[in-house]
Amino acid sequence: MGPLVPPSPVPPTRSPVIAIEGLGKRYPTGRRGGHRDEVVALDSLTIDVQPGEIYGFLGPNGAGKSTAIRILLGFLHPSSGRARVLGHDVVRDGLRIRARTGYLPAGIDLYDTMTGADLLDYLARLYGQPTPLRASLTDRLELAAADLRRPVRDYSRGMRQKVGIIQALQHDPELAILDEPTEGLDPLMQHAFYAILEERRQAGRSVFFSSHVLSEVERVCDRVAIIRGGRLVAASSVEQLLARRRRHVELRTDGDVPDLRGVPGLSVTEVRPGLLRAELEGDVGPLLAAIAGWPVRDLLIEPARLEEAFLELYSPDAPATLPGGPPDPRAGAR
Amino acid sequence: MIGALLGRTFAANRVRIIGCTIALLVWGAVMPLVYASFGRQYGSFIRNNPLLEQFTQFGGGDMFSLSGAMALGFVHPFAITVMGIIAVGMPILAIVGERQRGTLEVLLSRPVSRRALIVVVVVVGITALALLLAAQLVSNVVGAYVAGVQDELSVRRLPLVWAMGLLLFGAIMAIALAASVSFDRVMPALGVTLLIVLVSYLFEVIGSLWPEMRGLGDLSLFHYVRTKELLEGTFRPTDALLIGGVMAAALAWAWFVFPRRDIAAPS
Repeated sequence: MGPLVPPSPVPPTRSPVIAIEGLGKRYPTGRRGGHRDEVVALDSLTIDVQPGEIYGFLGPNGAGKSTAIRILLGFLHPSSGRARVLGHDVVRDGLRIRARTGYLPAGIDLYDTMTGADLLDYLARLYGQPTPLRASLTDRLELAAADLRRPVRDYSRGMRQKVGIIQALQHDPELAILDEPTEGLDPLMQHAFYAILEERRQAGRSVFFSSHVLSEVERVCDRVAIIRGGRLVAASSVEQLLARRRRHVELRTDGDVPDLRGVPGLSVTEVRPGLLRAELEGDVGPLLAAIAGWPVRDLLIEPARLEEAFLELYSPDAPATLPGGPPDPRAGAR
Repeated sequence: MIGALLGRTFAANRVRIIGCTIALLVWGAVMPLVYASFGRQYGSFIRNNPLLEQFTQFGGGDMFSLSGAMALGFVHPFAITVMGIIAVGMPILAIVGERQRGTLEVLLSRPVSRRALIVVVVVVGITALALLLAAQLVSNVVGAYVAGVQDELSVRRLPLVWAMGLLLFGAIMAIALAASVSFDRVMPALGVTLLIVLVSYLFEVIGSLWPEMRGLGDLSLFHYVRTKELLEGTFRPTDALLIGGVMAAALAWAWFVFPRRDIAAPS
């Protein structure tokens, strides 16, 4: 298996590959009482993706992820705000953007009568560019030459997804926009895909992808944005997001428990002889300092997972946006 | 890039184009043979019968002259259906069909503009229609020779018939294209197009068979391709202008509407 080395490295640049400012999208839903009804699919979205970054875009169905992606690729026209991809305006310069990007739609549909190889050739010719990564991608995703000679209509869901990934990346785009890329892939192929993403990052290429699989976002992304009801609720590095979430702490001692009321970020929820339960937000250092020298029998600090952070942001009493103001570009990136 | 799209669109329609060409090659030879076999024999009888006379002008064609038989062949439902497979089916499948299947977004995520797609559909459609019409006319000529009535045929007027036929079916194709870029599903686009074509055809048929309703024919696109008159040496430039105007309006609709439309995720 050869590595996915691009033919020429991307020159370093400081401008973001995706810069979205106050982007909004409203759909008319009809007229009622002389007024035009509208549904807000996207509301004042502001995010940026830096060169060489893998950026996760999270939210449940209907949150506005696909709307944002479709605006970036020119399928939809924004109602407000603006977006630039690779320095080009998404409304005016769609062709230039699409010449330099690769796109995998969610649940990709392919031309069923073509063979896999013919399909990949055809889609590559529409870019008018060579396909330096085709061989290594088919190798990594275990699509044999015999498979590629079969008509796409005979492919399983997973094989279609592999072809979808290859068509999006085979021409070594500067930016890949992937909508639910691991949908339909088995765990082995998911790992192969993560390795492909890692090599994209090392080659200086950028990836912007939406996913429902929070563990994979946590694993591969430098930064994430979470949207809810079309609005951005969080945009930061994965570490920052995890550091902000409350973790469950359980302390067991031989005898009395220490008084931890002064520990920053700690909210004690239950105290019994030999047992203390609390919620910890932020750094664990002050807690460890406070219990140093105490006869601790067991200490459980639940690892911070993106899934819990995500669910916290989606709880009914979650704030409309995370405290801390707008995201800091590349802050805390891995 | 456009070459690849053009090649793929031709390839995707090749079976339809070949099948329709064969059908019109066969059909084109039939009308001169029918005319030679029956039309000449019974023409004077029918024309002298007031009850039957009004039925000799179906869509501007008849069975009692070679030019009339060829004109009848042009507006016969069989020929219209075969031409419609390309004129209506191709633009519908190429845009809203791809949209419904979900492949349009794979195509348009490449550096291919929506207007480039319109150009490709028009080029492929017009080329196919030109081939089909040529096949029918060539077959007409062959049929006339086989039937021994070639002396009644003015071959030098055939290019004008070909051009007017191309304009008519080009206009129908443009209407289908305009519908194709305006809807997200095949059935509404196909329904609107067929409604326009069938109503137009019905007006021409009613107008030609029912003297009191002759005015309806003026509202039909088919009325302005007067094949018999063209073959007999009469050409009205206003006919070409009118059909060309309809075609231009439909193409302009597609040209300006398609790039401005939102293409939501396929459902």
